[in-house]
Amino acid sequence: MQKIMIIEDDPLIREEMSLLLENEGYEVVSVTRFTQIPDQIRDCAPDLILLDLGLPGQDGLTLCARIRKSSALPIIIVTSRDSSADEFRGLSLGGDDYITKPYDVPVLLARIKAVLRRSSGLPEADMLAVNGLQLSLTRGTVSRNGRSIELTRNELKILAHLMTHAGEIVSRADLIDVLWENQIYIDDNTLSVNITRLRTKLADLGMPDCIRTRRGLGYQL
Amino acid sequence: MTIGEFISDRLDKIMLFLCCTAAAALLLWATGTSPGVIILLLLFLFLIFTVTQTSEYLKCRRHLSELNALMQGLDQKYLFFECAPSPCSVYEQKLFELMRDSGRAMIGAVSDAQASMQEYREYIESWVHEVKTPITAARLTCRHLDSDSRRRFSAELEQIEAHVERALYYARVQSPEHDCIVCQVSLADVVSQAVANHRTLLIQSHMQIETGDLDFTIYTDRKWAVFILGQLLQNASRYRRIPSPQTAAAESPHAPDPDVSPPSILLTARPLGRQIQLTVSDNGIGIPAHELSRVFDRGFTGSNGRLRGGSTGMGLYLCRKLASMLEIDLQIASEEQKGTAVTLTFPAKQTADVANNRNLTEL
Repeated sequence: MQKIMIIEDDPLIREEMSLLLENEGYEVVSVTRFTQIPDQIRDCAPDLILLDLGLPGQDGLTLCARIRKSSALPIIIVTSRDSSADEFRGLSLGGDDYITKPYDVPVLLARIKAVLRRSSGLPEADMLAVNGLQLSLTRGTVSRNGRSIELTRNELKILAHLMTHAGEIVSRADLIDVLWENQIYIDDNTLSVNITRLRTKLADLGMPDCIRTRRGLGYQL
Repeated sequence: MTIGEFISDRLDKIMLFLCCTAAAALLLWATGTSPGVIILLLLFLFLIFTVTQTSEYLKCRRHLSELNALMQGLDQKYLFFECAPSPCSVYEQKLFELMRDSGRAMIGAVSDAQASMQEYREYIESWVHEVKTPITAARLTCRHLDSDSRRRFSAELEQIEAHVERALYYARVQSPEHDCIVCQVSLADVVSQAVANHRTLLIQSHMQIETGDLDFTIYTDRKWAVFILGQLLQNASRYRRIPSPQTAAAESPHAPDPDVSPPSILLTARPLGRQIQLTVSDNGIGIPAHELSRVFDRGFTGSNGRLRGGSTGMGLYLCRKLASMLEIDLQIASEEQKGTAVTLTFPAKQTADVANNRNLTEL
């Protein structure tokens, strides 16, 4: 399990962040004493630091530079200072990524994942499998019993989201949200069209009723 | 200073001289001096007077043109009396001192005003950064709500963020040099960031977003460009045509168009020489022709703003300000009940600013 250290002075944000990250399967350590932070870091040896810049009694950027001097530990700066000049300073003083508050939760999670992947050198999980249905994210194909079919970008994202939430009911609005996060700007009607096409393709693979419509609620795989 | 001006300025002295010489000539003539001598004397006097006055005129003219050049070269014109050479004559010197004191009072007032502006700007900036912390906390907390309330809640939060952001940029346009870094930016990146920032609003207004080929590199400040584009997207969704026949009929009884097409925004880009031109067009309610020239004015809300409400008249004003600082050309075209198109022309690579900032990024 990867360990993330949260250095953030607002108690509510700290609490919510650690809850969020624990739910995502990370081990979380929060700093509550803002003195001797480098020592605390050495003692708990995290895989990633989420660093707020506006800390009590000290400048987060100086801290960032100090941490960077002694280790190559990935640091994501999470701050409300949002100008290009601030970002430039943050990244040049050793930050691996710079996220401005208020952030989107999915965006934050995706960037944490990306930084961790870069630092650990592990490739991203490529295959999703549910009920004998296999989805290759990099090749954009879905296969079952040795037969495979190519998907469009929209269909791929929809199916991937349904497969990662297999068994749950995914509302249409949630699906639209997910697609917009991936720069696919579609509306309700286009979503219906995409779902229909996806169903036809899955039927070709011998799974005609794979995506069920739950009237008034959404879709379920 | 022309010769006419000089003469009219010296008219009293010239008259005095003429009177005096006339009186002297009369006196000499009365005491029996021969007219030949008098005429010779008069000629001599006139010659001396003309020569001295001419040399004085030339001196005045040279002095004035020096002062003019000094004024031209000054950035802050009110610093003139601090830089001008002090005059020689006592009377002029007294005048000069009075002027300089007045100038100093002005300099004091200006620098006080600048300092308080700066303080205010800093306060707004730190306030904005403070307020972002609770907004972040609220965003994180609203995950626990059910999906419908969460969506409504995030839409409200997004609104707050948009207002806060405008306040921040309003403070920033006063002294932009601190925050702005011009460098290579991907246009597609800017567009997707701007859309992401206003996702909830756009989805809620059932906006269809179509993008053309945006695979261009522009030279600008990323954050500012995202902000400008964000304002345009917000306007497009705020002033969309609402596809309900009742509303359309109520707003304008002449609109025969029963099947209003769904609201959409089209983002396209094309190269224009070395520049890149981005067009954001919507099919919204448009802007009346007579209001089009004023939409960039501060606080201008127009008839649409009054009709729909929630308009601050700040969005496009800030767009224009920021755009001019980034040397982006901003043009708007609109037709009522048809839509609005805003065109942003991003500058070509070679500007002094870019060169400086590229050095900065390379460091």
